[in-house]
Amino acid sequence: MSVSFQQVLNKIQSITSTIKEDQEKLNLRRQFAVKLWKKHADECDFLIRKVEAAKENDPLLRCAIPTDEHLDHFNLLPPVIASCTLIAADGSQVNPDRHSAILYSLVNIGLIVMKPGTGETSKIYTFSDLKHGEELYADSSLISADLVSLQRDLAERHKLLEVSNEYQGTILALTDGPLEVWGLRQGFSESYRRALETHIKVLDEMFKKEMVLAGVVDKPGANLVVRLLEIAEAQEDDLKNIKSYSLLRRVDDRWLFRTLPPGARSAVFGLQSSASTYYKGTHALHFFYLNTSADDHPNIVRVEIPAWVASDKEKLNMLHASLIEQCRIMGIKPYPYILHRAHEVAVVTYEDKVYVEQLLSHELLNAQVELGEISSKKSAKDLPGRSRP
Amino acid sequence: MDSIKIGYMLRSGITGFVAGCPVSQMSLPSLGALLSVPLADDYNIFGIIYDINIADDGLIKQLVTVDNISADVIRDNRERRIIPMEMSVVTVGWEKNGIVSHLLPPKPPLSLDIIQLCSDEDLIRFTDAGNFGYFRHILRNKDLPIGEIFAAHIQQARRAHMLNGNPAWWEKATRELITLLRDDYSTLMEVLSTLGDTETGE
Repeated sequence: MSVSFQQVLNKIQSITSTIKEDQEKLNLRRQFAVKLWKKHADECDFLIRKVEAAKENDPLLRCAIPTDEHLDHFNLLPPVIASCTLIAADGSQVNPDRHSAILYSLVNIGLIVMKPGTGETSKIYTFSDLKHGEELYADSSLISADLVSLQRDLAERHKLLEVSNEYQGTILALTDGPLEVWGLRQGFSESYRRALETHIKVLDEMFKKEMVLAGVVDKPGANLVVRLLEIAEAQEDDLKNIKSYSLLRRVDDRWLFRTLPPGARSAVFGLQSSASTYYKGTHALHFFYLNTSADDHPNIVRVEIPAWVASDKEKLNMLHASLIEQCRIMGIKPYPYILHRAHEVAVVTYEDKVYVEQLLSHELLNAQVELGEISSKKSAKDLPGRSRP
Repeated sequence: MDSIKIGYMLRSGITGFVAGCPVSQMSLPSLGALLSVPLADDYNIFGIIYDINIADDGLIKQLVTVDNISADVIRDNRERRIIPMEMSVVTVGWEKNGIVSHLLPPKPPLSLDIIQLCSDEDLIRFTDAGNFGYFRHILRNKDLPIGEIFAAHIQQARRAHMLNGNPAWWEKATRELITLLRDDYSTLMEVLSTLGDTETGE
């Protein structure tokens, strides 16, 4: 037993003694957030001006920007959609581990294509990219886990575009997580800048193909709309210190939008982020919240879309209806079926990883390349635990 | 008709093996069917299917809670997901250089060896060889639904022999079963009763 349960228990008891007070404080903030939501619902121009002012004091500001729909607007589930081809992509990776005997990285991308309503069998694609030796170095140092994640995100989007070229008609392309590529945010590194530029080129092609592109964020923890409400209330002095200004701390968007009727989407918002200078014009990032639940127990997801989808009601309705249709397939835990399947295809299991390492070490030994050694630390950690007699 | 590849070996022993195939192959193999595992050097192992299992997983359990599952989701699950149908097979003989033996094979097949559904020609060749010695491999497995397996197997073999102009095979096979089970009245009655049902069914 390595955890001091006595210390943990003491802490739990102290938490429970203040939890009620804590919860009451949060509830007051939540009620206030709802008031602000209604108060500023139709003040789009005013809110846009406030965001512009806030941006001047915090270039990394991350919040919602109103569009032509009121803040509290919602759209019920649109009628059955026209036929389309659904493509979902997901990725997983093995990061280089300096404690292992072999240094390598692996990015595995899984894609699945379905044509709902046709009864046709889905099509599966996998792309695996193994890197070894010089390929693992960016400038003078070993690539970080962040950089591998970035490579994975870019590969997902590249493959989505590549596979979409095989299909005709309307294509609805989905990824798991935000549409924006993430990683290496600190210092806005060169690698991140290059990744953003590559992503923009992929988006250019998707835009030309008029693809209905979306990223689905399940159980979102962001406070983008709540942050907008805070900015709306901020006075001039508050705007100067907008980074630390937090009127509605711990209130998140998921809570705010839990009142969406089953199957309904929220208003569409623009996304103000540090990457907004890259994602602009037809590629500007937008989002809406969607209640994917079929009953009165809300399940809110955030759906990120580019401006060319946000501004096209037909595309928006198709995306909305398709996502709900996909979520209904999964029953009581509504999540787009096709995204779950893409995850199943992409995931690199522990057994896969062991097999890749065996193949790699076998080939390296055949080529008379000396293998490294597992670090003593990893060896010790990998020792079998004590089993029950 | 040539043999049809239906799957690959998952695990094996001398007395039996388990083969895996995609669920979409469901229409091919059936209870009592004769399978073969072609190995190197003109060596073949034969077996009869005594059980077929289709596993579930978390996603399947979640999907069945929904009222209507669409056709494309069903096909995606059956044909694209890694949930093989497992066929349990009792080994009933082997063949080397065209000579069929109803003894157990000298060595088992290996993982991922190809499993084939025997053609009518192979079925006739195997069941006509010797004197029904392969029946005892099934009879030895008291936990199996012996009557059902024999009924299914004999029905399939009888049809092949009839088409080949040998209607007497069925009678010989039944007589042999009666002889083998003369000291086991309850099993004999079960087998005969199931065979009788097969007759009625036809």
